[in-house]
Amino acid sequence: MKKYQIGEFEEIVLLTVGVLYDEAYGVAIKHEIQRRLERKVSVGALQSALRRLEGKGFLTSRQGEANPMRGGKPKRFFNITAFGKQALEYNRDARKSLWDDIPHVAWQIK
Amino acid sequence: MKKAADMLLRWFCKEDHYLDISGDLEELHWINENNYSRRRAEWHYLADVLLLLRLSLIKQINLAPQSFDMIFNYFKISARNLSHHKFFTFINVSGLAIGLAAFMLLNEYIRFEKSYDRFFSQSDQIYRLTTDQVRDGVIGVRDAMSFNPSGQVIAEQVPEIIGYTCTYKFGELVFRNSGMTQNERGVIAADSNYFQLFDYEVLQGNIETALDNPFSLVLSQSKAKEFFGNENPLGQRMEILSGFEQTFEVTAVIRDVPENTHYSFDMIMSIHTIKEALERDGWGGYNYYTYLLAQEGADLDAIQDKLPPLSDFLGEETDLVFHLQPLQSIHLYSDFTYEPQIHGSAESIRFLTIIAVFVLVMAWINYINLSTARAVDRAKEVGLRKVVGAHKQQLITQFLTEALLVNLMGALLALILAELSLPFFNSMMEKVIMEHVWQSPVFMFQLVIFFILGTLTTGFYPALVLSRFRPVAVLKGKFRHSKTGVALRKGLVVVQFTISLALIAGTLVVTKQVQHMRSIDKGFNAEQVVGFRNPRVQQDLRDALQTKLLSFYETLRQQEAIIAAASISNVPGGGSSDISSASGGVRIAGLTETVRTTIYLQDYDENAIATLDLQMLAGRNFDKDLAIDSSAVIINESMVDLLGFKDINQVVGQRLQFGTDPGNDKYPIIGVIKNYNRTTLKRPVEPTAFFYDPTNGNSVVKLKESRFDEGVEALEATWAQFFPDTPLDLAFLDKRFENLYKEDRRFGKAFGAFSLLALAVALLGLLGLTYFISAQRTKEVGVRKVLGASISEIIFMFFKDFLTVIGLAAIIGVPTIYFVMSSWLEGYAFRISFPWEILALSLLAISAFALGTVALQTHKVAKLNPAKTLKYE
Repeated sequence: MKKYQIGEFEEIVLLTVGVLYDEAYGVAIKHEIQRRLERKVSVGALQSALRRLEGKGFLTSRQGEANPMRGGKPKRFFNITAFGKQALEYNRDARKSLWDDIPHVAWQIK
Repeated sequence: MKKAADMLLRWFCKEDHYLDISGDLEELHWINENNYSRRRAEWHYLADVLLLLRLSLIKQINLAPQSFDMIFNYFKISARNLSHHKFFTFINVSGLAIGLAAFMLLNEYIRFEKSYDRFFSQSDQIYRLTTDQVRDGVIGVRDAMSFNPSGQVIAEQVPEIIGYTCTYKFGELVFRNSGMTQNERGVIAADSNYFQLFDYEVLQGNIETALDNPFSLVLSQSKAKEFFGNENPLGQRMEILSGFEQTFEVTAVIRDVPENTHYSFDMIMSIHTIKEALERDGWGGYNYYTYLLAQEGADLDAIQDKLPPLSDFLGEETDLVFHLQPLQSIHLYSDFTYEPQIHGSAESIRFLTIIAVFVLVMAWINYINLSTARAVDRAKEVGLRKVVGAHKQQLITQFLTEALLVNLMGALLALILAELSLPFFNSMMEKVIMEHVWQSPVFMFQLVIFFILGTLTTGFYPALVLSRFRPVAVLKGKFRHSKTGVALRKGLVVVQFTISLALIAGTLVVTKQVQHMRSIDKGFNAEQVVGFRNPRVQQDLRDALQTKLLSFYETLRQQEAIIAAASISNVPGGGSSDISSASGGVRIAGLTETVRTTIYLQDYDENAIATLDLQMLAGRNFDKDLAIDSSAVIINESMVDLLGFKDINQVVGQRLQFGTDPGNDKYPIIGVIKNYNRTTLKRPVEPTAFFYDPTNGNSVVKLKESRFDEGVEALEATWAQFFPDTPLDLAFLDKRFENLYKEDRRFGKAFGAFSLLALAVALLGLLGLTYFISAQRTKEVGVRKVLGASISEIIFMFFKDFLTVIGLAAIIGVPTIYFVMSSWLEGYAFRISFPWEILALSLLAISAFALGTVALQTHKVAKLNPAKTLKYE
């Protein structure tokens, strides 16, 4: 996986950004991950992952509208780039081929 | 707090990220604010901000072009500075270490106390059904127990209640295990629903049906091991001697019940075993603990309103009312009669929280005070640095780095201190809070949080002050402390003194109250008397036991080392729930109105009053030869007051009637005894009626003074001769009372120990402060000496400063202590009057310590030869 450096949590974040498509901003992503994976996500962990992913070119972002709930501050929406898609596909395929190559006997676990 | 957190975020976060991240935080905060309390939401916000401290989000530090070198330089200069001023470093590091360690340990204890009953997966939906006595809208006696059918009827009538369980707690049962008998205190009876509410981990057996059949028994893991070793406990049979005609079968084993529950047990038997008692009690007696399970999100008040009135079931007018208590608040907030075990106290937790914060604040104040006091020494350094081109920001970073290093050393030392003192702490609290500090992730996390918080709190102000100096002024030597700086420092010292004063006085008041309760005359002889429980037998053997008991007492009385022996229903020194009571009201037939309150009932034989050395105030004792005495009653003073009589002699000869029905039995009052304390002195003496019964569940034996050992031996031998099957479990009455004050003693000890630590930190700070101040005034002292001042005059000059500080502390502290401690004392029925002498003593102690320290430091300076100190002027 050297070609696309991406951690486990980063991968989850990236996928979630994809799931949310046009509505992927901090709070929405956080809640989506918490809902689907039932794991706690701190704003810090999420934001640093997002910025790292953006830095690596897997994500792009644009500024959105502000609203009073947010103290008049704008949202930042994220979208997956083509490069990000490649990274995800690469990861999935690599895993898939590993899965496929596990011999049946290995599953006879008691 | 939110604002400060936001400022912090703006300060460290990369600029182009700040806007949308803080927008996210605002939105989350908005959501949290709607779901939780405001304070909790703000803490959340702060925690989120602190968790944002990540490399990828932090601003590039570009104060100087060679930023890494610069950072390295900050540390190098800081380290150099700290090692140069070892005294300053020592005081701060040790103060912070003590403060932080004490704070963290107390915090852990508080967290433990607050964690009670929260480990069940539905714990926020479980309520305990209790019984209140409400008359004219005033809540009277609140009882933790309820009628045994109530759980079921409430579950049927209130849709929000989706589960219930009824349990009964046995006092003590005697088990027979491979020929040996042993007493077991932790036995409860419950139905199978119990485990639906309280999801203890099941190790063996089918828990859903484990309690369905009578004579089935569920054991805790350690009890199973104790009884059966490595054998499989399932299906094993056990014999309980306390009146059960069948043996019990072990049907399941659960993991040991953790310490943090208000209702702990080792064994549960099926409640169907005592079906007869359940049916007999029915809606007649509330002796059961009932727990209800509510739907998720159900509102307590709404359910409370839907509870049916108890008169629906009792078939008559009643002032008893159902009441619900959230499970999670029972341990700290419930103080009802008949609590299943000694409970904690939200008030002591509050006190300990305050002390914890105080200790830490003391250490932080030390750092701020000492660093600003040293400002003079460093003014020239700052001036020179500025001249050669240092930015203000760089200087701030420099001083913050110093604070960081000191706090870091403090935190590391605190970790070691906490770990080393953990065994003592656990034994002082009489609970194993944790085994090692690093086993608690929360502990470690909080240590880091408070280390960062400490660095910022202590570092910022001194850094701002120190970096503000104007180089031209300070290098010319024209340096004066700013007035606000001095005022702030004095203010902080006043805070420290006030806190110290409050802690010393508080400790002494608590100690004095606990001592008072232990030493107060309880109204009977507690030192020479032992109490124990008589054997319990099945119904059909009861007559035989009674005869046996009577000859047992007779034999005891013939022993030389034994003065008296008596049969009694309640051994003094028992818990508040350890007694029967009647709450149907009581009156003097034909004379008084019915007084509706709880009356306590005890049974005595004719020797009980003499054995306990109780004093008869009027009338006479029971006489076993008078047939009428089997329905006669003796009452205590408290009962006389309750009935509204002034003259006790008037009461004797009247007839006591319980309940409201005029047809109820009337009991002739034959005597009045002086009040004595049956249970803790936190509670007033219970209004009690004593009935005559020659054989009761317990015995008290008075031993000859100075021949205790002989007496106990004789007692044990006689017991073994009469009741070889039952173990004898005897305790001196004064020991029983000591046990009642365990919680208060523990609180007193914790209060004292941590106050002492806070005090030590404060003294350390004072020592440092006087050291720097006197050192700075060396030249002034020199000039004064040249002009003819004596050493004592100079010391007194320094005193004046501190006397005003102590005076201010007294003005703030004394009223505060008075109000806080008076309201604490209100919680005790037998309390000391507010001890002003203790307050004066504490004030004196503080002054003596402070002035002593000042004298010590200034004396050093004052005795210097002015020729030396003024050499360079």
